[in-house]
Amino acid sequence: MTDYDLSKTIIPYLDRHLSFPLLAHLVEINLFPVKEVTAAQYELARGTNMFDYAVNLFEQLHPEEDIPAEFDEKRKNAVSTHERLQQEAQAVLDVIENPDVAQALRQDKNQNLQYLKDNYNLTLEQITALYNFGQFQYSYGNYSGAADYLYHFRVLSTDNDLNTSAHWGKLASDILTGRWDVALEELNTLRESIDSRSSTSALLSSASSAASASEPALVQLHSRTWLVHWSLFVYFNHPQGRTLLLETFLSPTYLNTIQTSCPWILRYLTTAAILSRKASALPASSSTPVSSRVRNAIREVVKVIQTEEYQYQDPVTAFLKELYVEFNFEAAQRELAIAEKVVADDFFLGEFRDEFLDNARYLISEAYCRIHQKIDIADLSKRLNLSHDEGEKWIVNLIRETRMGAEAKIDLEKNVIEINRPALPVYQTIIEKTRGLALRTQALGTAAGRSGQQNNGVSKSDSLSPTVAVK
Amino acid sequence: MSRFFRQAGDSDSDSESSDDESMSSGAEDVPQRSQAPAKQATGSMSRFLKTAGSDSSDSDSDEDSDSDSDAPPTRRTGLPTVDDTDDEEESDDDAPGARIKSASERRLDEMKATGKVIENGLKINDWVAISNEFDKLARMVQRQHNVSEPVPPFYIQTLVSLEGSLNAAVIKEKEAKKKMNATNAKALTAVKQKVKKALKEYEAEVKRFQEDHEAFEREYNAIVAPESTPRQRPTAPNGEVSTADDFTTVGKGGKAMQFTSEGIFKNLQTVQEARGKKNTDRAEQIRILEKLLEVAATSYQRIRVLLALISSRFDYNSSVSSHMPIELWLHAQQEVDQLVSIIASDPNYSIQEITDDYDEMVERSPATEGGIVYIRGSIISFIDRLDDEFTRSLQNIDPHGTEYVDRLKDEKGLYRTICRAQAFYEATKQAEPLGRVIMRRLEHIYSKPNTVVAALEASVDASEIKPSMILSVQKTTTVLIHTLCVHLYQSGNSLLRTRAMLCHIYHHALRNDFYTARDMLLMSHLQESIHSADVGTQILYNRTVVQLGLCAFRSGLIKEAQATLQEIFTTQRVKELLAQGVHQQRFQALTPEQEKAEKQRQLPFHMHINTELLEAAFLVSSMLVEIPLLASIESEEIKRKTISKPFRRLLDFADRQVFTGPPESTRDHIMQASKALQDGEWEQCRDFIQSIKIWSLMPEAADVKEMLAKRIQEQGLRTYLFTYAPHYSTLSISLLSRTFSLPINTVTSIVSKMIWNEELSASLDQSGDVVVFHRIELSRTQQLAQTVAEKLAAMVDQSEKSLDAKMGGTSGWTDRADIKGDKRGEQAQERRGRGERTRGARGGARGGRSGRFSQGLGNQMPGQRSQVAV
Repeated sequence: MTDYDLSKTIIPYLDRHLSFPLLAHLVEINLFPVKEVTAAQYELARGTNMFDYAVNLFEQLHPEEDIPAEFDEKRKNAVSTHERLQQEAQAVLDVIENPDVAQALRQDKNQNLQYLKDNYNLTLEQITALYNFGQFQYSYGNYSGAADYLYHFRVLSTDNDLNTSAHWGKLASDILTGRWDVALEELNTLRESIDSRSSTSALLSSASSAASASEPALVQLHSRTWLVHWSLFVYFNHPQGRTLLLETFLSPTYLNTIQTSCPWILRYLTTAAILSRKASALPASSSTPVSSRVRNAIREVVKVIQTEEYQYQDPVTAFLKELYVEFNFEAAQRELAIAEKVVADDFFLGEFRDEFLDNARYLISEAYCRIHQKIDIADLSKRLNLSHDEGEKWIVNLIRETRMGAEAKIDLEKNVIEINRPALPVYQTIIEKTRGLALRTQALGTAAGRSGQQNNGVSKSDSLSPTVAVK
Repeated sequence: MSRFFRQAGDSDSDSESSDDESMSSGAEDVPQRSQAPAKQATGSMSRFLKTAGSDSSDSDSDEDSDSDSDAPPTRRTGLPTVDDTDDEEESDDDAPGARIKSASERRLDEMKATGKVIENGLKINDWVAISNEFDKLARMVQRQHNVSEPVPPFYIQTLVSLEGSLNAAVIKEKEAKKKMNATNAKALTAVKQKVKKALKEYEAEVKRFQEDHEAFEREYNAIVAPESTPRQRPTAPNGEVSTADDFTTVGKGGKAMQFTSEGIFKNLQTVQEARGKKNTDRAEQIRILEKLLEVAATSYQRIRVLLALISSRFDYNSSVSSHMPIELWLHAQQEVDQLVSIIASDPNYSIQEITDDYDEMVERSPATEGGIVYIRGSIISFIDRLDDEFTRSLQNIDPHGTEYVDRLKDEKGLYRTICRAQAFYEATKQAEPLGRVIMRRLEHIYSKPNTVVAALEASVDASEIKPSMILSVQKTTTVLIHTLCVHLYQSGNSLLRTRAMLCHIYHHALRNDFYTARDMLLMSHLQESIHSADVGTQILYNRTVVQLGLCAFRSGLIKEAQATLQEIFTTQRVKELLAQGVHQQRFQALTPEQEKAEKQRQLPFHMHINTELLEAAFLVSSMLVEIPLLASIESEEIKRKTISKPFRRLLDFADRQVFTGPPESTRDHIMQASKALQDGEWEQCRDFIQSIKIWSLMPEAADVKEMLAKRIQEQGLRTYLFTYAPHYSTLSISLLSRTFSLPINTVTSIVSKMIWNEELSASLDQSGDVVVFHRIELSRTQQLAQTVAEKLAAMVDQSEKSLDAKMGGTSGWTDRADIKGDKRGEQAQERRGRGERTRGARGGARGGRSGRFSQGLGNQMPGQRSQVAV
């Protein structure tokens, strides 16, 4: 099982603090020697300001040794820094929390800054104190406090780099405090800011040489990779997370990111696709509208798994591959058994083990039913890792749940299911084919009509283009 | 020396005789200063001086050529019909001292000849002639003056006598009733002024001469005799300084050394001036330079001579179409080696393309330059030329003869030279030429198997100058190529980057590393910009893509192989696109220039990708894709799109033939195999395919055959199911498994896949282990309705596409980019020096076509990542 553990690959892409839950999980599942994991935890904690935690871990590791003196000294340092930073930040906070000020603040950051400077003598440097204090609080584990300060900082500051940094910090704090709704919001804004940077860099690349543009592209790839990893926390804890994950990860840019820099994320993508099977199976009944991307998630994911097979493979992806590429139900069954354990041991997926199994079984039986005309119930139950009685129940449920009701019948005497799928009548297929044509033609007509106006627009953009190039 | 003295004696007696004359003339006329107004003279005077000055600055670097133009008649008389170069050689080889003497002697002779003419002129009162001759005389003296010889007494003497007769003439003129004609009078005044000026200039000398002319002459001889030797002296110590390690050479032939080292620069000069002239004997020039190289003493001299020698070797063959003689090439290669080692061993010398101006005639050394001596020249251009000539010779030699193999052996030496140059540029940290030289190196190894690369690298190991990247350090070829490529990626040159990228991909493909190669190709986004690249790069691109297709084929990725090779075979100009043969055009004949350019682009034979093998791979993969597809088409009306047109065409052709004999060519084999596959005879098909001989050219032929057999089994099953499904209502899986000798599992999996993808309307009956077919018979009307619906859908698709294209086409950006691309392509072509404008248009069109080729490929590649990292 240790072969399939991804903690080691994922941790380098996480913040120090975000790794603690992962390591704690490793301690719980006993996959690795506890001692080693604790040592890792200690090494991590030593770099932070969480001295009590570090000392605690140290005692666990070396019960008979004395606590290193460096901690005391560091603690003193930290306390003094804390006080100093707090004072600085408090000054700003006092002003901001003043109701008059809160009312006077507007959308425009520059204007706000001017206002604060004029009325309360508050400069940008002082506002940066908020950031420093927030960061410091984060470093000793007061995540909610950190989130607050960073939020205030972001509202006021105009410094782009620090803002991004504050963004990440806020996201981490929200994740660690477990406020998933807030974290999701944060994640989305962060994603937007990363993606919007692409537009500027694209502009750059068209204006200047490609060489200079390659750098921002690389930076963007890195930040996307990080975002993909961090978002796992949110997506696997938020109630709507799985569909959102599919939505995000299957968008071309993020799919590319996953394929180029972190193919192991495919496991989570695959799992999410399997988990959200119901959403894809019952598009009409679900309250929230699902995009086609999510509906066809499994198909998409299978395609990606196939192309990335040479780079990454684990039982979860192998399961889908065996099922939908090879149609080897026995192999799929085998892979599913291993995948179940992998999912159970995974930090993010652990909770979804039963759901995963359920959905995977459903996928198997669905595929099985579509291909077969007569199915031996015993055989199918065996394929689903169920006893005979359970299997029967399962199949009846399956038939009830899906639209196969009219087509599938159980013959108890012979112990088989008979599936009779009458072929679609020809006129129906023709109707299907021609249905969209009128609409599409109409769209074509309007587009063609608009093209005349667009031509004008184009000529305008033409005249604008030199100025862009100059910039 | 004896000649020198004799000559001096001659001049002595000569001047005595003229002295007598002057004495006599002096007796006739009272020597007096001319009273002519000086003011109006200054203008012409200064001009005269100016011209004289510039003239002499030229002549000062090369007296011989100057005297050539200045006084041809006198020279002819003075030195009877000796060729310029011959004369030089002679003086160089056997009589080192003679040259100098002859020069001063000649000068004196000339002066005397001029003096005679003046005297004659005086006698007949022809002032025009006198004026001309005097000008000449003055110029000669000026020149003498420039080489810091004292003014010869002869000149002073002439001056004095001229002044005397001038005064007499003026007086006579005033008294005479009958005036001189206008020109003559004008010349007289001019001479008068000139003489006056000259007298002023040499006032001191004239005075001394008048006081005691014999003493003056003695003085002159005393000065001239020692001065002619010290003039060359300074070079000798210089030579000693720079070749301090070699005392014996200098000591033994000390004197000879001095003169040769002096002569080297002069000779170099003449050789360089003769370069490129119409009737220069190139072989002769090379011979001269070789001799010069032998006598060259200092590093500086050797470098200079080598630079000249190598370029004249390259000059030897002027025609574009033929190649340089191999012997010359070998010499040139050795000399480049030599040059690099001189430069590498002595960091005080540096060869650069752009240097400050320096005097080419003067010996230079680190001591005189105060640090590094920069010499104008370019090693990288030599390397480029050497490599190009090598390629050209391979293009011209019959690839099936032993000569070709012999020639190929020289690649080792060439590769070593390139590596040495790389080491040199690494040491001197010249980024730009370093990139170029690394590219050359890469191009020698990227397409070669490991053993050949190892052999090439072994020769580098043996050389004393090694670059930082070598096989023995890098262990494997892949790592070596990787390091070379990475260096080029980091360099700023985008052309080199592109080429390095392609070479890298090619190498990966050659090593059967399909996924890495594919990902690199797709991530490089080359397929979007390659049509604006130069022809050479496009050829490299085509090669790379083709190699990638072969790689996919070898790895058993049939679909990928088919998609990759598809586009290039659709053009039906495989050979041309790979630069492995000239395309025969059906309707228009190529102009000779086009043909020549085409020939120049051809790759040497050993770099060819075997087109027959390529075709076999393509056709077999097409067969495996196309035959099941053909079988799945139910009726003529529902024609599905053809995947591979070339294959379809061949198949149709084969179908039309009435009699089919046993297969002979590769194509025949594949066509018959396809027919067998259509009939479900997979064993026969396999035998046909496996008996194709060309597979033996693949390194892992056995594996490939095995893989193909397996694929044929699978596709055979699919074809069988498609073809015969209408005739069965059920079909036992075990029967299928037996017929196609596939395990039951595989059969089930294949059948399931077909059912799932709705290719086959059937389902499995688990209890009986049979496939149950559902067949729907369509009535004629239904069928037609279906066709109409499909056609409508296709039409709407088409309209949408064309509207898209139109909307996209009008946007200003893409338009401009296209134009720019074209221009850049043309410029690149011009820069490559292929030199014909007519080629531009054709090349552009060609680029467009292979550009489409590339784009089509990109689209068809599975798992395309067109937007990675954006």
